[in-house]
Amino acid sequence: MTLKEPLRDSPVAGTLSTFIVPGLMLFLLFVILPVLFAAYVSFFRWNGLGGVPTEFVGLENFQALLKDEVFLGDLWRLGLIVVLSLLVQLPLSFGLAMLLHQRFPGRTAFRLLFFVPYVLTEAVTAVLFRLVFSPRRGFADSLLGSLGIDAQIGWLSDRNIIMFVVFGILTWKFFGFHMILFLAGRQNIPDELYEAAAIDGATRGQAFRNITLPLMGPTARMIVFLSVIGAVQLFDLVYVLTGGGPFHASETLAITMYEQGFQRNQIGYASALSIAMFLISLVFALLYQRYVLNRDLQGSITASGGTRS
Amino acid sequence: MRNPLLRPRALVAAGTAALLALSAAACGDSGESDADLTWWHIQNQDPLMSTWQEFADDFEAANDLTIDVQPIENQAFKDRMGTAAQSGDVPDIFHTWGGGVLAEQVEAGLVQDLTGKLDCIDQINPIALEPYTIDGKLYGMPFDAGVVGFWYNMDLFAEAGITQPPATWTEFLAAVEALKAADITPIALAGADKWPGHYYWTYLAMRTVGLDGLAAAAEAGDFSGDGFVQAGQMVADLAALEPFQPGFESAVYGEADGQSAIMGEGLAAMELMGQWAPQAQRDNSGTEGPENLGFFPFPTVEGGTGTATEFLGGGNGYAVAADAPDEALDFLCNFMEPENYSRAITEGNLTPVAADPASVAPEMNEDTQKVVDALASATGTQLYLDQAYPPAIGGVINDATEGLLLGQLTPEDFVAMVNEAWAAEG
Repeated sequence: MTLKEPLRDSPVAGTLSTFIVPGLMLFLLFVILPVLFAAYVSFFRWNGLGGVPTEFVGLENFQALLKDEVFLGDLWRLGLIVVLSLLVQLPLSFGLAMLLHQRFPGRTAFRLLFFVPYVLTEAVTAVLFRLVFSPRRGFADSLLGSLGIDAQIGWLSDRNIIMFVVFGILTWKFFGFHMILFLAGRQNIPDELYEAAAIDGATRGQAFRNITLPLMGPTARMIVFLSVIGAVQLFDLVYVLTGGGPFHASETLAITMYEQGFQRNQIGYASALSIAMFLISLVFALLYQRYVLNRDLQGSITASGGTRS
Repeated sequence: MRNPLLRPRALVAAGTAALLALSAAACGDSGESDADLTWWHIQNQDPLMSTWQEFADDFEAANDLTIDVQPIENQAFKDRMGTAAQSGDVPDIFHTWGGGVLAEQVEAGLVQDLTGKLDCIDQINPIALEPYTIDGKLYGMPFDAGVVGFWYNMDLFAEAGITQPPATWTEFLAAVEALKAADITPIALAGADKWPGHYYWTYLAMRTVGLDGLAAAAEAGDFSGDGFVQAGQMVADLAALEPFQPGFESAVYGEADGQSAIMGEGLAAMELMGQWAPQAQRDNSGTEGPENLGFFPFPTVEGGTGTATEFLGGGNGYAVAADAPDEALDFLCNFMEPENYSRAITEGNLTPVAADPASVAPEMNEDTQKVVDALASATGTQLYLDQAYPPAIGGVINDATEGLLLGQLTPEDFVAMVNEAWAAEG
């Protein structure tokens, strides 16, 4: 096998289908079919019990959705999480990645340590922080108390701060993951570029602005994408932590969907909500790929397309 | 190796991969076990969890079959039961509170009609069967029944100078003020769980419009009457006094620092809860509970039609899946065997549903006795609204009560939300 030689005989249809069909079948069965079913059910009022839905209500579920204060609140909270992530969490991860790229004793230990929260499952994280923020014997209040601040902060019970507490926990959990991605991106930048810059008399600041930042672009764009999609799907952590409360103050789209669908047996309405979530993710993913990731993806596409033409 | 894809080998590889994926998917689809009977119950804490397990073990040995016993936490049970019902595959025996939730499951054809099939039914007080009776047919067997009322720490009440449990709402609010003045948290509440809060609104509505008024409103799907708005306002007024423990908004009922644990540790003076409260206080706090625990019925409201002997309440029971084997019925009656039942009552402090309580429980725990006495004095009962009404409406009532308690909704919003839910359901 030689790498330089382009594939002369294109894969036979048989081989192609052998590999694609099983995956495609599973994808159709467990992804496309449920999506289509949810889309169908969203036009019905249905409690999910006993056979197929029969009470067709047209677009009623969607109209109700647009008037539902909880749903609109979910969207607002989604926006808040995304904005905070972009403004706080990602710069923090980026900065740490840059620091941990330097050579100093113990940096592997730090890398490992920062990555640990990401390994915990979301439910465990939530249980952990329920204990930390417990109003009576919680670590957080005790810590403040030992510092002489005797404030009873309702970490999880104050509607005004709950989203920031949730965001803090999300940051604690995910900054290590993003940091590792940034670190990997930074390590992919060849040292020659910095050497060349140094020979040309560039300062470290200039090298950072003109080499590091532009070449970290693809990584950053990918991380932003993952963050946003992750925020849309946010469920376990918040559900175990607060159940979406107090009174919807920390509720996410997925929690609303779960409560409507599985606790109130409003499967039709919950399906409409899930379709809305699907559309939000889809539209964002398509636009983002089209306008932002486009440049990053082009490289890989033109390479294979280039040899062929 | 010019052609890396040797076709036969590729075929085998792809085939194996597909097979693996499919078999993994097949394994994932059912929660069913190979046991002859599956049983979901919510007695997930000792002492009753072990007692229930032993009942199952004995029954297994005596009848040469296997039982898959799953103790599930209350809220998690409701969630799992919902998904199981939607998939059309419920466990052979499952916990039920009766009412609208059971009715919905019955309508879907998931529950077995037990009318005339249970040999032990004569031993049960007919009143206790009411929540499980739908259109004249019996769909569940209760093993416990009781009422919701205020469980109070008598020592803390005495400390605040309250000599007599409040009988009217005005006296109740005065007691709350007195407790606050004595620096005692008046009420423990699990705000995050929502259902403990809905007892307040329901009871106040029962006191303002009476049981008939409540039944008429449910019949018409119209809760706009003045009594309901007044009940909402009274919940809001109570919340405005800030009578609950700090952080109640995120507290749940059964966990460390939750509602029952706080009562158990003597950190709050009272809670509005059902017959299981004293046991839960001990279980969740890991203590012996308050030394002097008293019980008083929900106070009456001046000018309201409801009386103090009308109770919000309900019990715990088991329903049987439509396709369950007959052994499931025998297993239910096994609970009612006098020696088993009296053991459950003694160990788990259940409130007996026996037609003749004295025969199964000659010496009842004093807390249980209080509930039995209250039940005996009852002139009417109302099942918890989140179970009595269909889940879509019960859920709205729970949710909206939380909104009232946190000052996020007005009593008018509350009524509008409930009416809207009824309209959508009808």
